Amino acid sequence: MAQQAAISQKPDPDDAQGPSLHVAPSPHIHDRAFTTHRMMVDVVLALTPAVAMAVYLFRWSALIHITLCVGVCLLSELIFTRMRGRKATLNDLSAVVTGLILALSMPATAPWYAAVIASAAAIGLGKIIFGGLGMNIFNPAMVGRAFVMISFAGVMGAGAYESASGMVDVISQATPMNALKQSGTFAMVPNLFLGLTNGSIGETSALACLLGGIYLCIRRTASWEIPAAMIATVLLIAGAADIVGHFGGRLVLQHLLGGALFFGAFFIATDPVSSPLSSRGKLIFGAGSGALVMLLRMFSGYPEGVMFAVLLMNAVTPLINRWTIPRTMGEGF
Amino acid sequence: MASNTEQMSARRHDNYILQAWLCITLALFFGALLAGVQAALGPVIAENKINETKEKVPELVFGADAAVDSAGRPALEITPSTIRTDHAGGTRFYSVFEARFADGTPAGWVTKASGQGYADRIELLVGLTPDADRISGLYILDQKETPGLGNKIVEVSWRNQFIRKPTDQPLKVVKRGARAPEEIDAVSGATISSDSVVAIVNRVVSDMKTHLAQGPLENKE
Amino acid sequence: MAEQPTATERFVQGILPENPVYRQLLGLCPALAVTSSMQAAVTMAGAVLFVLLCANVVTSLIRDLLKPHLRIVIFTLTIATFVTIADRFLAAYLYQMSKTLGPYIPLIIVNCLIICRCEVCASKQSPLTAAADAVGQSLGYGLALASIAGVREILGTGMFFGLRVLPPSWPDWAVMVLPPGAFISLGLLLGGVNWYSQRNAKKN
Repeated sequence: MAQQAAISQKPDPDDAQGPSLHVAPSPHIHDRAFTTHRMMVDVVLALTPAVAMAVYLFRWSALIHITLCVGVCLLSELIFTRMRGRKATLNDLSAVVTGLILALSMPATAPWYAAVIASAAAIGLGKIIFGGLGMNIFNPAMVGRAFVMISFAGVMGAGAYESASGMVDVISQATPMNALKQSGTFAMVPNLFLGLTNGSIGETSALACLLGGIYLCIRRTASWEIPAAMIATVLLIAGAADIVGHFGGRLVLQHLLGGALFFGAFFIATDPVSSPLSSRGKLIFGAGSGALVMLLRMFSGYPEGVMFAVLLMNAVTPLINRWTIPRTMGEGF
Repeated sequence: MASNTEQMSARRHDNYILQAWLCITLALFFGALLAGVQAALGPVIAENKINETKEKVPELVFGADAAVDSAGRPALEITPSTIRTDHAGGTRFYSVFEARFADGTPAGWVTKASGQGYADRIELLVGLTPDADRISGLYILDQKETPGLGNKIVEVSWRNQFIRKPTDQPLKVVKRGARAPEEIDAVSGATISSDSVVAIVNRVVSDMKTHLAQGPLENKE
Repeated sequence: MAEQPTATERFVQGILPENPVYRQLLGLCPALAVTSSMQAAVTMAGAVLFVLLCANVVTSLIRDLLKPHLRIVIFTLTIATFVTIADRFLAAYLYQMSKTLGPYIPLIIVNCLIICRCEVCASKQSPLTAAADAVGQSLGYGLALASIAGVREILGTGMFFGLRVLPPSWPDWAVMVLPPGAFISLGLLLGGVNWYSQRNAKKN
């Protein structure tokens, strides 16, 4: 309620000249119920199954990561917006969502400082520098994740997910994607689907991500085009690779369920700020992300590619937007 | 009608040489200056380039143990040369250093080679025994691999795995727990960097083995 | 024509008020490329000092002979000569550093900072003023390179000038010594300098 009031009533404190014409950039569609706050609450709700799965699977490490990431994201948001002389925007919960997504994309074995630095980088470098919520080019959580991934390759890379001394059983295994990359072994499909495997704490369970994702799409908080196009593209490319290599469907299932695909497709790629506006653009964005994921998984040194795929597609989002400007009725091509 | 002086000044204005006299003078002067600098510093630079490799030769010939105790190491005579190898893949040139003890008995060979790594080219030195039947050392001259992962290929503990490896079959990278004589442990988390180094070493060994065993520089006893 | 600044003014201006990197945004390529360690940054700044000083003094000595349409050719010729000397000198006496700096020493030839100083100051003022200008600008440049390199080396390796300053348990932020770290550090420092000078301007 407070937000709506701010939008419609309160005059901008910066212009003391009195009445003036407010010109806001498009889109000019307005829906009173459709606020940032409501969207963010939806995302948090949708993430609940994944969070529950993470806590069930990784116990304390999951709780510590989630608390740290969310806490530091909120704190960074407060500090950095102050530094820019803006009003703090903690109430819109966007920092909470960034923190949650970031935490869920961390390895359970990651050290505490990685979580703290990733959160500060996510909010500072990923969001506030560009002008705050709605202005960022890249998905903030992925900026933070990439920052620590490159910084602390030794403790954040694919090999670091395994830890023999971990209190939880799953940590002692290699992540399904790393096992596939290194030795070509396949994990059991039911385990992949339910998420009883090692991996980033929130990505393991395809089921939990699917539940939350479908909720988001029904609520229209996330656009269905992006996850649909992304998953379909992965299915297509992995399917082709499967047929060529005679894997009998195991390779496809591993690529679909084994990594961060569902988590990334539903929660990361669908960030409305850093993805295209039109539905044609969203389909292109999703398909591009899916193709890049497969490209990275099959041909790069990394076993998983969702983070880099989404960041790369974020970078071309302005181009996709220009390319897919909806045309006025009757205007020729 | 233009006067004589006006014509003169117009001609002078059109004359490129006159226009550019300062440029030409400076160019000649600077050229001479640079020639002097090159004459003075050229030999020093050339020596630096050779020394960069030459300094590493004893360590690579004697292996790690002798490298620690550099004082007690016998003096070596090092002869640089270039070796040409021809094979199906084309022709390659290697810069090879032949090391001999003071009495003329061969001490070993050090070959400089490079190849594509994960991030950029990796340049390295491979030491081989006089008969080229074993590797006597490995040194990474230049690399730009990922800090924290791939750049661990420069660490002594990893490089020392190569010492005393037989050259009768190509080396193979394994993920932890190398047992067979031709196996090398990968740097954890950096399989590509490890593979690249091993591939370069294997190429050097396969290209140079027959050449070196015959002693291409001088006839061996 | 407005009166030209004196030698002292030229010297002082180069250091902070007209800092090449933070104020004029010149010479950014080496500021990004060779600032992963303090040693490299300081060597680079030294090379720039040598080249700029020689180029400025030579240009100032021949300033009355310059023809407007040929001046850029002369500037480039002069700069290229001294850059080559600097490059050869490093290769002869600081071989490892010369390998680290790689193409960035020869690239000083196309560094806008130097041609800018020749044009703005040396081609119009006396050799003494030109020399003061060169030293001031180079100090400012060195200061800027050192500030970027300091941040990157300390965060990226826990060391400063190759000496450990942070505890060994410090997790090295590898990203800071990699190219992205250069852009991030330069951007944040530039932002910091702008914020500071704006705040000062408001106060006065």
